[in-house]
Amino acid sequence: MGNPILFIILAVIAVAAALMMITSRNAVHAALFLIVNFMTVAVFYLLLKAPFVAMVQVTVYAGAIMVLFLFVIMLLGAEKLQGVNYRTLFGRVVIGLLGLALIVTFALALLGVFGPAGVEAATIPPLDADPAALGIRLFEAYVLPFQITAVLLLVAAIGVVVLRPRNKGEKAE
Amino acid sequence: MNAFGLIPLILVFPAIGFLFNALVGRRFVETNRSVGEKWSGWVASLMALSAFVIALLQLFSLVANHYHAEVVTLFDWIRVGNFHVPWAFQIDTLSVTMMLVVTGVGSLIHIYAIGYMHGDKDFSRFFAYLNLFLFFMLILVTGNNYLMLFVGWEGVGLCSFLLIGFWFDRTDAKGEAMNANAARKAFVANRVGDLAMILAMCLTFWTFGSLNFEPVFESAVEMFAHGEMVEFGLFSATLGQVLTAITALFLMGAAGKSAQIPLYIWLPDAMAGPTPVSALIHAATMVTSGIYLIVRSNVLFELVRASDTFIIGSLTSPDLVAYIGAATALLAGLIAFTQFDIKKVLAYSTVSQLGFMIAAAGMGAYVAAMFHLVTHAFFKALLFLSSGSVIHGMEHGHHELHAHGHGGGGHDDHHADDHFDPQDMRTMGGLRHKMPITFAVYMIGTLALAGIFPLAGFWSKDEILAHASTNSGVSFTVVNIMLTLAAFCTAFYMGRQIKMVFFGEPRHDAAAHAHESAPLMTTPLIILAILSVLGGLLNFPFFSEAAYKAASAAHDYGINLALEHWLEHSIAAFELTAAGVIKLPKTPTWVQYNVAGISTALAVIALLAAVFGVYGSRPRTAHERDPLQSTPIWWFAILPINTLVMSGIIPLFNRLADWLGHKLDGAFWHDFFHERLIRDNFVGFAKFSADVLDQLGVDGLVNGSARVTRRFADLIRTTQTGNVSGYALGVFIGVITLVVYFFLQTN
Amino acid sequence: MEVTIEWYIALSTILFTLGALGVLLRRNAIVIFMSIELMLNSANLLLVAFARQFGDLDGQVMVFFVMTVAAAEVAVGLALIVAIFRSRRSINIDEVNTLKG
Repeated sequence: MGNPILFIILAVIAVAAALMMITSRNAVHAALFLIVNFMTVAVFYLLLKAPFVAMVQVTVYAGAIMVLFLFVIMLLGAEKLQGVNYRTLFGRVVIGLLGLALIVTFALALLGVFGPAGVEAATIPPLDADPAALGIRLFEAYVLPFQITAVLLLVAAIGVVVLRPRNKGEKAE
Repeated sequence: MNAFGLIPLILVFPAIGFLFNALVGRRFVETNRSVGEKWSGWVASLMALSAFVIALLQLFSLVANHYHAEVVTLFDWIRVGNFHVPWAFQIDTLSVTMMLVVTGVGSLIHIYAIGYMHGDKDFSRFFAYLNLFLFFMLILVTGNNYLMLFVGWEGVGLCSFLLIGFWFDRTDAKGEAMNANAARKAFVANRVGDLAMILAMCLTFWTFGSLNFEPVFESAVEMFAHGEMVEFGLFSATLGQVLTAITALFLMGAAGKSAQIPLYIWLPDAMAGPTPVSALIHAATMVTSGIYLIVRSNVLFELVRASDTFIIGSLTSPDLVAYIGAATALLAGLIAFTQFDIKKVLAYSTVSQLGFMIAAAGMGAYVAAMFHLVTHAFFKALLFLSSGSVIHGMEHGHHELHAHGHGGGGHDDHHADDHFDPQDMRTMGGLRHKMPITFAVYMIGTLALAGIFPLAGFWSKDEILAHASTNSGVSFTVVNIMLTLAAFCTAFYMGRQIKMVFFGEPRHDAAAHAHESAPLMTTPLIILAILSVLGGLLNFPFFSEAAYKAASAAHDYGINLALEHWLEHSIAAFELTAAGVIKLPKTPTWVQYNVAGISTALAVIALLAAVFGVYGSRPRTAHERDPLQSTPIWWFAILPINTLVMSGIIPLFNRLADWLGHKLDGAFWHDFFHERLIRDNFVGFAKFSADVLDQLGVDGLVNGSARVTRRFADLIRTTQTGNVSGYALGVFIGVITLVVYFFLQTN
Repeated sequence: MEVTIEWYIALSTILFTLGALGVLLRRNAIVIFMSIELMLNSANLLLVAFARQFGDLDGQVMVFFVMTVAAAEVAVGLALIVAIFRSRRSINIDEVNTLKG
């Protein structure tokens, strides 16, 4: 499942990028850090022998979606709208403790505090998923969900059109 | 080669007709009145005729199939646990007989209705209902299980309601919506019977584990042979007791649908509907479904007779059926004496004749019941349609009168015009010259109904009477006497009716201006008249015992007893009697001359007494009293033969008929029992429910719960801050809680 | 030392928690949105890791669907944000509270 050193380097980059994203005051910077995070996750996908998902991650997520984010941020000029837009100190402490609680819970679980971890090392031959296999799976077992996502995207497209900003004098239906 | 596979079409055709008239018919009629009416009416009629053709094909297929019943399963309808009901058609001689009557008479009435309903504002709605009725009636008679029968049963009840209330916006002099009320009354009275039907079906399924005809009858016979008990959890009952309950409930259901005591009260009111409806639904087909039900369930009734299970004393449930039928026949026959509405006379006559059929079925004369059902469908449909023709003529005469009245003036009955009732026989008279065809067919129908040789009614009614007299037993004797008296009444009130309608002088200007109806209406009348004359051939008896024995030995019955040999194949009681399991009361197969002689003589006397005696010269005007009510003495001189008998009986009899008609039926049964006792208590209870239970109890509960909900909502709405971050925090805490919970849970 | 599934679980948890903290701490609607994307990504990462662990392609198929739904969500969500911004001249999530009970 990958080289440990490579994993640690990538993990550090990913966590750092995520941290920077949630703390940066400028929304454009946050978006750029998120792209960094997505890229590292894409590399993780490659390490996990999932090349198709990795490519989709780069093109769709890092590419299309994040570009859309940046576009909206710049359209609205929203990058500097709020100065210090954090919570109160008390709020921050409470939220931080909650986050810590989640991480600690998982850490305890991984350390086997709740009992032996249910995850055994793979007895199944490791998966070598080429895009063709994924495509066959998608269009055989999951063809109906696939069709439904198509409808979902259509609905989303229509929704966006309906939500479009109107000119003055043009009345909402 | 058979056409059993075509049976679903018998439902499809009326359904098409219904959809056509329900969906587009109105537009047709509204766009172009004359063309639209043709389309609407003829599509409906053609669909009825097509169904008739299908029924004929079934007849031929059955003959080719050596009369063996065929079940055509269309699909599984209900399958829950061991409750399995298919949607299947039972094609046997009994159901085909019903199909032929329903579609055959139905088609003629459809065609007649095109003429009768001409110009009605809801022309296409009428035909939509008629086709819907055919659809449900055919479900009723073709189903191979009680549940399908019940679907049709409810469906025809609905159509009956819709058609009685067809002119629901018409009001009477007092401004009451009488047609809507009549429709409601019919519906409610039918519901009582329907409840009994549902209970009977529940009991049938509990006992036999099925609702399909064949399995029910087979397991009934088997259980009877083994003397099995039926377990009800807390107690158990013998098969005879259970079957008594089932058959009594069936009788109750039949009493509702076929207008028997005590539920007959709806049928006379049902005459508020258009006359073709009265002919089709309330004379020829729907009201006979109760008889069909009993004949179909003949095995159950005969098993009760064979098991010697008594309701009270030595009264078995088939005896009860016979008594109810005979009592209804007699009571309704007497009530018909005092009616002035041309259709009400026929309505009570129908109740009476249905009583004959029910009585026949109760006596085990299933073939005779069906025979009378078929012939009655012919001549009663004929009579109703002819009366429709008379009413039509009277209405037109009235309109004509109005149109001319303005110029001519001087009519002294203008005060009566506002309340002119085209159905009141007292305003008629002398119509035989104005409406010759109607008169001729009406005479044929009257003679057939009165049971005059050799018309259809003679053979079928006599078969019932002969059956009653052939068998010995208290119930047979009593029923025999009651039915003979009822037959006398039949002839008398029919004589009274033709006398009042067709003879004498017109008693109203409308009658003077009446004229014959269109050929579209008279043609079906002529066809029905021919059937009423020849209907007896369906089950022509032998003329002597010797002739029967000879034919029986040669196994060649010719045209004699055709219906009996035809129905034998689906009335399992015959087969079971041959096998010695049960003992069906024996049916006479040759003419019983003494019975036939007595009944014919009585019918002739009654007719003569009515036509030349009581109603010899009166009534002349609309305001004159019915001679029956004023007890004339002078007419005895005209008929010296029966003076002796009549002088003693007539005054008494008049009182009795008057008492039955006005006091028992009108004042007591209709007004006191149904109106005061049942309706008023019901209305009172409804008022109590509405004002007290509903306002305080139910509303209090509902409003109270609303108030509680509101308080609680006020309390918890404070958490709905509209602050998204707050919500997110809540979700996050929930996630952590769930994660911890799952980790703790896994080990 | 070898990379096991536990490593991925740990990384995923951290990323998910960081995303959740972003949602809770920030008031800028767009950044909140991005944090949600981060959470989705951490879940995707774990799905792919498990798919590898159990030799089953279904995990990857699921990622595919998650991405599709995320794309649709982003499109509609951003359109909503634009609409809100035009009417209120603000995308501060704490100011959008007209739905309070």
